[in-house]
Amino acid sequence: MLIWLLIVPILACLLIGLLSAPGRITALVSAGITLVLGLCAIIVGMLPDFDTECLTTFCGIPLQFTTATPLCSSMLLLTVVVTFAALLGMHAPSKRAERSWSISTLLISAGATGAFLSDNIIAFYAFHELALIPTFVMIGYYGRGERRTIAWRTTIYLGLASMVLLAGLIMLCMGMGTTSVAQMHALAMVYGKMPGTPATMGIISGLLLVGFGTLVSLFPFHSWAAPAYASAPTPIAMMHAGVLKKFGLYGLFTFAWALGPACRFLFGGWNDVLLVLLLGNVLWVGCVTIAQTRLDKMLGNSSVMHMGYLFLAFAAYVASSGSNYLALQGANMLMLAHGLSIAMLFLLAGQIEYRTNTLELCAMSGLARKVPTLGFLFGLAGMASIGLPLLANFAGEFSIFLSCFIGWAPGTTLDCGLGCCFLDSISSLLGGLGPVQLCVVFALWGLVISAIYMLRAIRRVFAGEIAPCCEKVPRLSCTEVLSASLLGALLLLFGIAPFLII
Amino acid sequence: MLQNLPWLFLVLPLVVAAVDWLFLQRCPRTAACCSITSAAVCFILCLAYLCGMQTGSPSVYEWFPLPSHSLTLGLLMDALSMKMMLVVTGIGLLVHIFSTGYMRGDTSNHSRYFAGLSIFMFSMSCIVLADGLLFTFVGWELVGFSSYILIGHWYDRTSAADAAKKAFITNRVGDFGFLIGILLTLGVFGTLSFSDMAGQQIDPAQSGVLTAVVLCLFCGAVGKSAQFPLHVWLPDAMEGPTPVSALIHAATMVAAGVYMLVRLQVSMGTDAFTPSACVVICTVGAITALLAALMATQQDDIKRVLAYSTLSQLGYMVMAAGMLSGEAAMFHLYTHAWFKALLFLAAGAVIVRCHHEQDIWRMGGLRRRMPLTTLCFLLGTCALVAVPGFSGFFSKEAILTAAWESSIPLFVIGALVAVLTTFYMVRLCLVAFCFTARTESAERAQEADSAMLIPLLILGVMALISGYGFMADTLVPFAGFRAHDFEFGVPFLTGLLALIVGGGLAWFVYGRRQKKLDTDPLASCIFSRALRRRLYIDSFYDKVLIGGIQQWGAAIAHCVDDGVIRRLAGHGTALFVAWCGKLLSKIQCGSLRVYVLVSALGLIVAMILFAFTIIH
Amino acid sequence: MTPLSHYLIFSGVLFSLGLAGAIIRRNILVVFMCLELMLTAANVALVGFSRAQGLEGVPVYDAQLLVLFIMAIAAAEVAVGLALIVAMFRARRGVESSSLTSLKD
Repeated sequence: MLIWLLIVPILACLLIGLLSAPGRITALVSAGITLVLGLCAIIVGMLPDFDTECLTTFCGIPLQFTTATPLCSSMLLLTVVVTFAALLGMHAPSKRAERSWSISTLLISAGATGAFLSDNIIAFYAFHELALIPTFVMIGYYGRGERRTIAWRTTIYLGLASMVLLAGLIMLCMGMGTTSVAQMHALAMVYGKMPGTPATMGIISGLLLVGFGTLVSLFPFHSWAAPAYASAPTPIAMMHAGVLKKFGLYGLFTFAWALGPACRFLFGGWNDVLLVLLLGNVLWVGCVTIAQTRLDKMLGNSSVMHMGYLFLAFAAYVASSGSNYLALQGANMLMLAHGLSIAMLFLLAGQIEYRTNTLELCAMSGLARKVPTLGFLFGLAGMASIGLPLLANFAGEFSIFLSCFIGWAPGTTLDCGLGCCFLDSISSLLGGLGPVQLCVVFALWGLVISAIYMLRAIRRVFAGEIAPCCEKVPRLSCTEVLSASLLGALLLLFGIAPFLII
Repeated sequence: MLQNLPWLFLVLPLVVAAVDWLFLQRCPRTAACCSITSAAVCFILCLAYLCGMQTGSPSVYEWFPLPSHSLTLGLLMDALSMKMMLVVTGIGLLVHIFSTGYMRGDTSNHSRYFAGLSIFMFSMSCIVLADGLLFTFVGWELVGFSSYILIGHWYDRTSAADAAKKAFITNRVGDFGFLIGILLTLGVFGTLSFSDMAGQQIDPAQSGVLTAVVLCLFCGAVGKSAQFPLHVWLPDAMEGPTPVSALIHAATMVAAGVYMLVRLQVSMGTDAFTPSACVVICTVGAITALLAALMATQQDDIKRVLAYSTLSQLGYMVMAAGMLSGEAAMFHLYTHAWFKALLFLAAGAVIVRCHHEQDIWRMGGLRRRMPLTTLCFLLGTCALVAVPGFSGFFSKEAILTAAWESSIPLFVIGALVAVLTTFYMVRLCLVAFCFTARTESAERAQEADSAMLIPLLILGVMALISGYGFMADTLVPFAGFRAHDFEFGVPFLTGLLALIVGGGLAWFVYGRRQKKLDTDPLASCIFSRALRRRLYIDSFYDKVLIGGIQQWGAAIAHCVDDGVIRRLAGHGTALFVAWCGKLLSKIQCGSLRVYVLVSALGLIVAMILFAFTIIH
Repeated sequence: MTPLSHYLIFSGVLFSLGLAGAIIRRNILVVFMCLELMLTAANVALVGFSRAQGLEGVPVYDAQLLVLFIMAIAAAEVAVGLALIVAMFRARRGVESSSLTSLKD
């Protein structure tokens, strides 16, 4: 049944592309079908009595789709929901653009679904590449600003990252002697098999971290992300920032999970480096986000910044030899929540631009007075993304922070003899904190940073006196409200009841 | 089923808020009714519990269940929390009712306003009833959010929108420390639940870490209770509607920090509060009390005077909590909630009737036009300046006694703050209510209507009697509290002296020169100017922290990110590759003869190598 | 019986002449002839080896067969090469090797 999640959007693409079926309607029908199918699959997959795997082959290539890995149900949900919302809330400039936007959205959706559900590592990689192609093309053709440069830069960054990643994946598969994640998990858990000597594992994990890290915009490899999101057409930005970017984290967590306790030997060597880099994501890119003057760039950078928390969860998971279930599920929650919230933010940013013809923060003001629904929805998404309780991001972020302190206990107080009790307490604390815990303490400052940029944006765009460009703006149409509310409702649902994703 | 009745405290306001906001945008009256009903139900429920209703322990909400380390949300229904709930729901209900009068004639969206109040009731109940730091933190963030939307209720006013943003961000700074504290607590105690913490023995060897834990948690209180140096948001928060200031920024939310400290002292035990941590807490409280009282003496806005007074009273409470005298802190919190809510609501009535005039120098003579409101305001003032017999007198007495017993410097500061409190409150009353009206709007003021007067009168009665044993013994949010009979000792005499000195000074400055007074006679002195400018703390933050870090720091980060990482590293790599290509393309000179020569040389080298490897 | 060294010396001289010509001369036609010279040198060496390896005056015919193949292919190559040169002469009015740098720019 799972294979239909792939076939339906591709069929729809063919219908639109070759038989000139109406773009938006066909795409919406296809997205609706995958939404229903996906929900069924997730609900069935959650029932323990059903066989969760569904073996299929495609032209002799093993194409086993599975929902057995811990993260893939929520990723599947994210994909189908964001696809539907992106297509529903889309404002294409012309019929032609509408058709190509629909096709690329569906292709990205199909590729992401394939990547998240594949059991075979090579298929997992290939599906992701399939999903990347429309992104480049759409930025190049329909982007904002200097779109050609941005498209090329994105292509080169992601292409190189994919090559590095492929090398790492091949080495990992050869080391483990299998290309199936499920078999890898079984081998690691039952026989304690490891993918090679410590030196080899260092190389493999380095390649994987650089490859996946670039795809997820880890700190020094992040400069492609924000301009690409800012430039891409709204549905593409939603699909890439919301869904496709999670591929890298999904891969890291899946392999760490598959290797079980051995993940510490594989990734542990790079953990300290990773901790420093993710602080770069949270603090450095956070500062960069504050400095942005355009809404779309700000959202793009904020998405890069939030990736830091997910790497934090990964570091905590690796440091605990894969026993930190809270870190895994916290990351699962945050990936889903971040996907929903950033997609919603990009969707609303698109609708703001459609109304005011600008995304410069200084040019807009007082929009909420004219379009209160838009203000409410943007506020909801913004508050979700800065981690307000009752919304899904909070559940994710808070569990990740907590998970970093599970299993940590303060050592005995070192009497530093500094004479001053505060210095004593600080030094004993610093001495007692492990690298992961220390990193959390710094990363928490991200809470303040994210509040600063998000509230500033909301303040500029929606509050204050009404600016000239916001004078005569149409209200939200029914489909626009529906698409954003779908994402908002899920954010609220998972915020109140995060146990649903486990 | 019945055992889960306490969850109604949370579920009801939350559902009402959602319904108000999402479905009742067009019918503000219905929205107001829903909110008031939910507040009333909570209040009645709370009374029922206080009267001894038993429903068994409420079940725990499995928020994020895991094989190990589940995150659960539970309710703690002890004396501390239930009595605190009475303060919250009681004042909450009165403020809801007052709001209907206050917002009449206002053109903004009332549904959103009442939804905000309901969210606040929900989140404050989370903090009060939480059985664990996780739930506390949930409520902690949400009260910040509700305060954000209520301060920014009139968001098209630039000042309100800025104040809302400032409040939220400043609170987030405090929450940064609070969250670290929560995480460290998990490490030290192995649990976040208050009831599990209570039974634990504390290893004396861990005092250093414990100090850090307590101080980090205290950071949260510094943010939420607006203690120095994060006090700057509270005066600005007065941009919100006045009932909101009364409920959130005077009576309940800002007291949450104090409540949390006392809750920690009860659950972790006072041993966990190491002497060094206590010193810091007391000092911060004392500094806040003193600075805020000083600044209050020179404010012209009636709400700002009250806001600084709130700051200074919160400083008192934090000081008491730091002296490990949770009893005194909670007693003062409880009396302060009633009389400060009264003061704010009375000020709100005055503001509405003076057509949104807030400058006290443009009021005057209100006692003749609004006699009942003036009476209520006077009752509140008497309680605040601790006139013997009023509620504030007993609680301030308790704090001063605790200070007298623990440290003389703190006692001196406490006494000084008492003098200043009397000074600025008498100044406020004299200027705003006595003499003759200075402007037309004050001239035409009328008595408030019944929706506003009834809550005022109820609060007035509470301000008068809530300090006496028959009320306090059952209602002060502290287990086994006994209102002590005041003793004729140093603290009592000091309090009395402070009253006389402060009142006398204010009368000397503002009372004598009756009619001519249109501006503050002290305004020209340098010290007063500094106080008016809030001792330059706000402008320091604006220039140095916000201007410096937010703009310069962010700009530098942006430039470096764009310049170094993107251009230098990104484009640099591209240029390097291109340069290498250029260099290597030099070999391709295009001359056939050179190619032949090179290949011939290569052949020769290969032959030599070949020959030598064969021979040797 | 001519000793092997004579064959080899002759072949070496022939090869060096060809190589020197290919390097020094500019006219592609001459360069082409020099290439043929080098091929011939290789053929001579092959013939010499075939005789030296032979037993009782009978040479190893494999090598001589190879020489015939080389000559046949060289003839074909000359045909193609000359055709190319003629075409080039027609196109560019000259067969100087130093002017053939259009791929470089």
